[in-house]
Amino acid sequence: MKLPSLLRTAAVIAATSSWLTVASAQGGPILIGATIPITGTVATFGQHSRWGAEQAIAEANAKGGVLGRKIEMEFQDNRCNPAEGVKSVTQMISQRKYVAIFDGLCSSVALAVMPVIERAGIPFVVANASATSIAEKSGVGGNVWTFKVNPTDASLLNALVDWLQKEGKAGNIAFLGEDTDFGRAGSSGLEAALKRHNLKLGSVDFYQKGAADFTAVLSKIKAQKPAMLALYSIDADFQNAMRQWHGLGGGVPLTGRVLVDQVPKEILASGLLDGTTAVQPYDPSVDTPENKAFVAEFRKRTGTMPIMVAFESYESTRILIDAIRRAGSTDPVAIRDALKQTRYQSIIGGTVEFDENNLAHNHAIILGIQNGKVVILGQSKT
Amino acid sequence: MDAGFLLQLVINGLVIGVIYALIAMGLSLIFGVLEIVNFAHGEFYMLGAMAAWFLASQAGFGYWTTVAAVVIVALAIGVLLYEGLLGAVEGKGFERSILLTLGLSMILQNGAVYLFTTTPKMISNSLTYSQVVLGSFRMPTARIYALVVGLLAFTGLWLVLHRSKIGKAMRGVSQNRDAALMVGIDPRAVARVAVAVGVGLSGLAGAALAPVYAVHPLMGFAFVFKAFAIVIIGGLGNVSGAAIAALALGVIETLMGGFLPMVMVDAVAFMAMIAILLFRPMGLFGRGVRV
Repeated sequence: MKLPSLLRTAAVIAATSSWLTVASAQGGPILIGATIPITGTVATFGQHSRWGAEQAIAEANAKGGVLGRKIEMEFQDNRCNPAEGVKSVTQMISQRKYVAIFDGLCSSVALAVMPVIERAGIPFVVANASATSIAEKSGVGGNVWTFKVNPTDASLLNALVDWLQKEGKAGNIAFLGEDTDFGRAGSSGLEAALKRHNLKLGSVDFYQKGAADFTAVLSKIKAQKPAMLALYSIDADFQNAMRQWHGLGGGVPLTGRVLVDQVPKEILASGLLDGTTAVQPYDPSVDTPENKAFVAEFRKRTGTMPIMVAFESYESTRILIDAIRRAGSTDPVAIRDALKQTRYQSIIGGTVEFDENNLAHNHAIILGIQNGKVVILGQSKT
Repeated sequence: MDAGFLLQLVINGLVIGVIYALIAMGLSLIFGVLEIVNFAHGEFYMLGAMAAWFLASQAGFGYWTTVAAVVIVALAIGVLLYEGLLGAVEGKGFERSILLTLGLSMILQNGAVYLFTTTPKMISNSLTYSQVVLGSFRMPTARIYALVVGLLAFTGLWLVLHRSKIGKAMRGVSQNRDAALMVGIDPRAVARVAVAVGVGLSGLAGAALAPVYAVHPLMGFAFVFKAFAIVIIGGLGNVSGAAIAALALGVIETLMGGFLPMVMVDAVAFMAMIAILLFRPMGLFGRGVRV
């Protein structure tokens, strides 16, 4: 084949494939790319995040989708590892078929992905990562493509410490958290929240994520006799810490981001954790009709109760779908601008709007354990 | 300083040391006889715990029945592992065995995710939440059981290696495979037993500790790298060396954890391993299958 005819053939192939891509983009489903930990130490959270997002998409598709098209979310595994998160997002961006990227954990991953997102110019909706620095780096003067739906650790901890101070319990708090951006943000957030009341943390300890045995550090903290122990731990680490805390006889009420809904029922019923006061963005027992419907449908679909990340992903996906609808197109700039104008009624009662840092401010739920039972002590605007 | 606090740390350290030892001894035994570093070793600990969770929580087995059943299955899996995989790469280069066992580790880990999901599982029975309380000292009964199981396993392995023909045969094969063959020892049969015992010990650790720790597909990963460090500290292939190093590490880590930041404690094993590799590459107690 001579060179001119080779070029002609290449041009025809290029034109045909480009037409096919456009045709597929216009007629096929609207695709959202998601990076979540499907495997690894926090895969349980990744699974719940996925279930929450899928429920929101199923509901939207049952109502006819958006812009006359179905919505699909395609998930890639990041193992809660920043390098794998960047790899998965870079891959998704290079495919040029996703209208937005959805982040379902973890803070380290979200922070690593943000510069990639900014270069690509595609909306990035952070559903679960809680590090305060994500919001600090977003919005005016920062990364205008990143929108953080769940509250930051700082805002949650401000709400918690205000509550504890009101109850006279904010002095001499010991901190134990995983040595990740999540745990570090918890420690610095708690420190800053206490500083607002001229208080300091009693002690600070971190552990490597995936550590199985906490007996030494828990014995040490117990011997220091703090007024409360702030725990920043999730998944298997949390279960091990709870069981070992029970084995040591407890003796210090817990606080921080304690996953009260995941405490083994035997430990809860023993009364060992009575006096615990925790803060979370969500609790399944929030008494609104919308939340009850969400929980019922979630249980029907998965056979289990939703945890916090499921709720966050559900709401974040709904917010993104709503923005695509209001944008009237899948153009990234239009979706970003529509996200900025979000005014969304949360299923737990708050109204979600993004501030100048593209950070939403939903309610924080203050939870307590009393007489072996989890109770909602109150809600506070973050 | 509170004596109860120190006692708490030492006893917990011994329990953790026993856990390390059960995994490290099997790893060391397999290396001593086959010269294969089994990167899938932690997964057999995880599978032992998964099986124990299933038998205890789903089938209603008691603690000792569960432990016995898991060990029998683990021994059988060890035989299959040798016949199906490790026997085929024995003596055929270090890199082949590393790649094979790494691949096996990934398959087992992801297979467990597929079958059991990543949700941490907890055995909840009368043993799980019962405790022994002496003044300010508290110890969950399940940890005491694990300690007893570990000590029984030490004694049993010591007797096998020290008093039985198969123990002598293991030492013989480890020292000189050809010479062992010439005096009538079948190296394949010895290696098969070594792998079965190694996997059996890991399964035993998993079963004994299932009521102590959350059971999940990644639980082996946390222990296996520390077990590698222990095996190097104790002397590659030196089973007693691994046991002593494991117990010492468990107690040192816990005592340090009682006074120093926990993240520093995790580095102790690897700092000791690096020091050993630099200044005493044969390990504290020398190489080879010894008792």
